[in-house]
Amino acid sequence: MKKNLYGSTLQVVLTIFTFAIVYLPILVIILISIHGSQYNYDSFKLTFRWYQEIINDQQLVDAIIVTLQIALLATTISTILGTAFAIGIHSLKKKNRVRMMVLNNVPVVNPDIVTGIMLFIIFRFFRMTFGFPTMLLAHIFFTLPFVILSVLPKLKQLDPNLFDAALDLGATKFQAIVRVIIPSIKIGMIAGALIAFTMSIDDFIISYFMKQGEFHNVSTLIYSRLAKRQISPTVFAYNSLVVVLTMGLMILFNRSNQTQKKVRG
Amino acid sequence: MKSLRRLIYPYIAWLTVLIIIPFLFIVLATISTFHIFNSYTFRFTFDSLRFLTDPIFLNAFKNSIKFAGITTVICLAVGYPVAYFFANIKSKNKTLYVALLIVPIWSNMIVRIIAWENVFKPVSILNLFNLSFDMIGSDIAIIIAMVSMYLPFMIFPIYAVLDKMDHGYIEASRDLGANSFQSFYKVTLPLSLGGIVSGIIMTLLPAMTAFALPERIGGGTTILLGNLIEKEIFRGSFSTAATVSFVVMIVMLGFFMLIVRFDKEGETLL
Repeated sequence: MKKNLYGSTLQVVLTIFTFAIVYLPILVIILISIHGSQYNYDSFKLTFRWYQEIINDQQLVDAIIVTLQIALLATTISTILGTAFAIGIHSLKKKNRVRMMVLNNVPVVNPDIVTGIMLFIIFRFFRMTFGFPTMLLAHIFFTLPFVILSVLPKLKQLDPNLFDAALDLGATKFQAIVRVIIPSIKIGMIAGALIAFTMSIDDFIISYFMKQGEFHNVSTLIYSRLAKRQISPTVFAYNSLVVVLTMGLMILFNRSNQTQKKVRG
Repeated sequence: MKSLRRLIYPYIAWLTVLIIIPFLFIVLATISTFHIFNSYTFRFTFDSLRFLTDPIFLNAFKNSIKFAGITTVICLAVGYPVAYFFANIKSKNKTLYVALLIVPIWSNMIVRIIAWENVFKPVSILNLFNLSFDMIGSDIAIIIAMVSMYLPFMIFPIYAVLDKMDHGYIEASRDLGANSFQSFYKVTLPLSLGGIVSGIIMTLLPAMTAFALPERIGGGTTILLGNLIEKEIFRGSFSTAATVSFVVMIVMLGFFMLIVRFDKEGETLL
């Protein structure tokens, strides 16, 4: 195919623009996290003091623990329930399946603030105390549809006779699901779990509506400090650590994938 | 596999309690004296609908449309060619390049907003490079920050569609005599419409309802629908918050119909 030279130059320029505008805040965050002074920007002083101070910032440490606990629990529960629901949805006839998926996709398309309000209303209505349980429920709520969305395409690729064959050979339904269906949809489950974890760990708006007193995840803690003008560079240090770690993991993952491909020929 | 249908009943119950009932509450609060915070005498009233003609609401609505609209147009104009570029790279690192756009999303959204606030403040870390901007409260600043936040969400769904597309169609159209512009306009573009619609929704709706971003970058003076909802609900003014949410939901449902037309099971939403 002949290449359109103007078209591809434009594409390269726009790609560079995209990386620049998306990464600029990240560079600013990293720069603030290694600069010695909070208020003086005359000359650059390299320091790792803010990284050491993360451990002393008890409130931040607590919020990190809450964020991780919620993310891990919500991801595990959503992945298990989402897989079960996806299997159920997949076994429906086309018309009902489409209906279920429309309902399933409401939380995906719904703006976070409206989801936050809806959950706030229903939890208030049931007189629930806001805090860990409501935040966990909320995170399960908005991650579940993503797990279902990523498991469903894998179920469609599955030969429907496999499940019946397993039953004919004497497996119970549960055994047939665990031994036949799950191994074939594993990739979809892992992808769904990764999306769920990413969304949970970064959520601000929905968690904000689940807040109660001094119970915070990282996002709501930072936001509340912002209002009180108490932002210290430790927050930036923590955030830089997360970014560097994920980027490292991604590059490692990519490399190991490639060596695997090479070994398999 | 019919026997597995029973697995969806708990999900139906879950969605009913957490989506359908709150939705009805919001509708009810918009058209009656219904209130979840205190006991109430129930009667229908359209008082809260009057808020829709209040200058405060109209201003927030106008701002939401303006900022989200401009942001979405920029994201589509930039995002489509970028997605196209990624989809056509012939490198074994292709997925890594796309994944590099996910890394910034892992960074906390609030921290990224503070980073932009720093960039636009006169006294900031940028002074180290002898740069200084004074743009807090300006429209441009809000739009730049929004594009930075939401651009990846425009690129991913379009990339997903373009990457899966069968190149045979394009070659066929070229063999049948279409020039590169025609084959893009008649083949590639229509086939990627589903991704475009998802991308627009993933950009437009969050931008319309953002509240931390306009509050920080807008210097507290630019009010969007999200700011209005947040302010009203924590002020205890349930019915106005519900009314504004109702308006947002109507917009959302409109777009939802569009998705259902292009992609019944929402496969482009991931």
